[in-house]
Amino acid sequence: MSKAGLVMIMIMTLASSLSAQTEPVRKKYTISGHVKDSKTGEAMIGATIMLEELPQIGTASNAYGFYSLTVSEGTYTIITRYMGYTPFSQQVVMKQNVKLNIELLEKGVEQKAVVVTGEKKDENIKEIQMGMEKLDVKSIQDIPVLFGEKDVIKTVQLLPGVKSGGDGNTGFYVRGGAADQNLILLDEANVYSASHFLGFFSVFNSDAIKDVTLFKGEMPSEYGGRLSSVLDIKMKDGNAKDFGVNGGIGLIASRLSVEGPIVSDKGSFSISGRRTYLDLFLKLSSDSSVNRVRLYFYDLNAKANYQLGENDRIYLSGYFGKDVLGFGNTFGIDWGNTTATFRWNHLFNEKMFSNTSLIYSTYDYTVIANINGNNLNLISKIKDEGVKQDFQYFFDSENGVKFGLNSIYHAIVPGTATFADSAQTSTLELTNKYSWENAFYISHDYKLSPIISVQYGVRFSFFSVLGPGVFYTYDSKGDRVDSLAYGSGKFIKTYFNLEPRIALNYILDDESSLKASYGRTTQNLHLLSTSTTSNPTDMWIPNSNNVQPEIADQVSLGYFRNFEDNSYEFSAETYYKLLRNQIDYKDGAQIGVNENVESQLLFGSGRAYGLELFLKKKYGRLNGWIGYTLSRTELKFAEINNGNYYPAHQDRTHDISVVGIYQLSDKWTFSATWVYYTGNAVTFPSGKYRILEYNEVNYFTERNGYRMPAYHRLDLGATWQGERSSWTFSLYNAYGRENAYSIRFQKDPNDPAKTQAVQTALFKFVPSITYNFRF
Amino acid sequence: MKLLRHILIFLMIAACSGIFLSCQKVIDVDLNSSSPHIVIEGYISDQPGPYWVRISQTVNYNQPNTFPPVSGATVTLSDNIGNSELLTEFIPGFYMSSLMQGVPGRTYTLTVLSNGVTYAASSMMPSPVAIDYLLQNSFSFGMDNSKTVEVHFRDPAGIDNYYRFVEIKNGVQQQFMFLINDQLQDGNEITSTLFADEDTLRTGDSVSVQLRSIDKNVYNYFRSLSQVVSSSSSSTSPANPPSNLSNGALGYFSAYAVRTKFIIIQ
Repeated sequence: MSKAGLVMIMIMTLASSLSAQTEPVRKKYTISGHVKDSKTGEAMIGATIMLEELPQIGTASNAYGFYSLTVSEGTYTIITRYMGYTPFSQQVVMKQNVKLNIELLEKGVEQKAVVVTGEKKDENIKEIQMGMEKLDVKSIQDIPVLFGEKDVIKTVQLLPGVKSGGDGNTGFYVRGGAADQNLILLDEANVYSASHFLGFFSVFNSDAIKDVTLFKGEMPSEYGGRLSSVLDIKMKDGNAKDFGVNGGIGLIASRLSVEGPIVSDKGSFSISGRRTYLDLFLKLSSDSSVNRVRLYFYDLNAKANYQLGENDRIYLSGYFGKDVLGFGNTFGIDWGNTTATFRWNHLFNEKMFSNTSLIYSTYDYTVIANINGNNLNLISKIKDEGVKQDFQYFFDSENGVKFGLNSIYHAIVPGTATFADSAQTSTLELTNKYSWENAFYISHDYKLSPIISVQYGVRFSFFSVLGPGVFYTYDSKGDRVDSLAYGSGKFIKTYFNLEPRIALNYILDDESSLKASYGRTTQNLHLLSTSTTSNPTDMWIPNSNNVQPEIADQVSLGYFRNFEDNSYEFSAETYYKLLRNQIDYKDGAQIGVNENVESQLLFGSGRAYGLELFLKKKYGRLNGWIGYTLSRTELKFAEINNGNYYPAHQDRTHDISVVGIYQLSDKWTFSATWVYYTGNAVTFPSGKYRILEYNEVNYFTERNGYRMPAYHRLDLGATWQGERSSWTFSLYNAYGRENAYSIRFQKDPNDPAKTQAVQTALFKFVPSITYNFRF
Repeated sequence: MKLLRHILIFLMIAACSGIFLSCQKVIDVDLNSSSPHIVIEGYISDQPGPYWVRISQTVNYNQPNTFPPVSGATVTLSDNIGNSELLTEFIPGFYMSSLMQGVPGRTYTLTVLSNGVTYAASSMMPSPVAIDYLLQNSFSFGMDNSKTVEVHFRDPAGIDNYYRFVEIKNGVQQQFMFLINDQLQDGNEITSTLFADEDTLRTGDSVSVQLRSIDKNVYNYFRSLSQVVSSSSSSTSPANPPSNLSNGALGYFSAYAVRTKFIIIQ
């Protein structure tokens, strides 16, 4: 650790001294301020700020809209751009530090751009970051989705390198990573279960969301804790100038949002809620097997911010969501996430920005069953309490430094089951798990020359397994051989990992660049699930004496090229990723309510590699993109398939997404998406046998040796945009492809002497209509 | 939780059936052929014998459900205090004991020598647990009102118990797997309701219920077995149940103690 850290510091010192030497001795001044939307006062993330006179120099506003640019004395024209907004330009005389808050005006509907925004026309060429996608939530609404519920995660799934979990699944796989290897943050709080309705919808109400950024390649050092990607979702601050109400009525759910200033231009709030109402219709049914069903979800997002003074702003944001599913008094399950984030932005001076966050997040579920007087009640919960401190230092126009720390205390209640009947009550309490996750990071953005820039950094992560608790050791058969009990606050084991990250951009010419990156990521919490779809009862477990941190090393190389005055963007990225300490399950593993769940796990390695091609048309009446991924993801476990490499469940050879949006007139927009991918790797039986005491039984010869049928689907959408309202029409699965949701092998009901394979397809032609309004 | 998902899907289909259709159909899947693999199934109980051991083979998935017997094997049953018996093949693939009588607390070993390979498994016979009484009950899930049998018994305190219920209706053993353990209810009066998957009980049916006390390995085997019987692609790791037999044989060997009660459905 110390060695690599030292090298880092040396490089940084060297780098800044080099840049200092090459600069002329003219005095330098800083221009800084915030970038905001002129209508709503929302801080704008990732707006680019450039000087017309020095085109190679530029910066972008950070997550809170703050920018800072340091240049030599002189008179410049500052230009600020953001996709979908009219560029702003103003002359500034730099003979002292200048404070300039910039307000950008949104363009009219007819000039509106596509979903994936590039901030500057050639941003994809100049930006160091590779494998990063930003989504503009305002324009997601044009993409057709299931039941008309616009959903950021469903849109993310259309990007190259991101694979959808399939019908009825908000889980996604990034560059071969499993669904639990994505860090999903809502205003910096970890969201442990991002799905409603067992995966048909995500928990993110797009009315409450401002900005979505996905990192699928090298992730910047300020992020950590998951192996394959970061989905960083930021909630709307709320309109600081006017009160507004907007909402929507859809097939499945209704939404309502209220926003407005707390004190004009000083602070604002935003509250959004939504609820499904399928259950209200079910109640009307005369059939007692239908009207006793409870089936709904709701969620609430709220955020407020206030400017305390010239240099300080505070934010408070929260999310609360709940799913309820049940049948009369017989059976019920409810689950949900709660998050809360308090943030304090502070400007030490025009170059030094700081943010301090206090973060709280929980996910819990409760299952109840009541059959003939026997009651079963099961509760499980994961809770995070954390603090995050980030500093951003805008050194000069060539150098920027970010550093900070993140500390989270995790408490996991794996399961407390209470069993009761008329005579007695008994309780089974699995050992609670406590851990403390700490990380320190530093990263340096450095522009070596007008054509070469580098971003490098390191993250030091410490994960401590804490008492109280009982820790077991197991033999190879999975039988307990020893157990040790520790008291409260005792450190059982600390895992340390050093995560270097580096990204390089080499600009070939005005229209093309080469980018390369390397990054190591680690993961200390692991999701156990024996189903290929997301279940509310899937369980997170921390590292322990048996479970080690997962580690991934990824290298990637990309070529970026723009055509026809940057109106077409093309990129080709390749990656190779090595995975260590991956988790799979023993044959017939039992992971539900099991004190010895760690004895059911296997540990192995993996590798993922692939090529991603992306062509996007950004401007004009017709815009959209085509993404294609060719990839392979393989795992290697000594105990599975004789220790040979085998395809991971999410391994898909081909994956294609086509998105087209056509702006017919001021009022009408049409859209279509088409996806195709190779079926997931699955385990099918290769034979069968009979157990007389029971039944015919499937015989398996290898794990993931078969493929589901290829998946493809066309969705169509149309939006009518009025003055204060809009209508969205969509048709999901327009040509009615019966995509296999599952394939079951069973006895033929018509001929018990035979067996058969039965395919279930979920959605065939799902039309929907949504009405949106605002006033 | 598989059940949960099925319920949800059912509900969504039911609720929206006017708008869209979810569909199930039988499809052709090109499955690999597999070389025949040995399957051994054997038991000993605390009730008088004879006990049998059946040896058969796997077939390819698309073949009919006829499973070739394995003849000519040397099959031995022994216990941990030195008793041993060679079983005789009375019909192809079926091997029967004549002298052995199972005793709770002893550990039994089954050894099979077939085509030059030896397969062995051991199982400890737990003490029997008596059924106090059976009760008839009904259970409704929606419109269906089905008759069920409730089993009442007292779990012995302080030891881990694993149970398998077997329901014999009008002389025919029902094909369902009903297993419980006392993890949540050690030492309790336990009431278990036996839900039949297929055939519902009717008035006049004579039903006998066996409460088999089995060992932990066999319990795990059966639990896993019931999950793979109609395996679906939505399980990440469907696999052959963890057999207590050595050398990769499929199947199990179980030493169990059993108590039975009888009821006539009203």
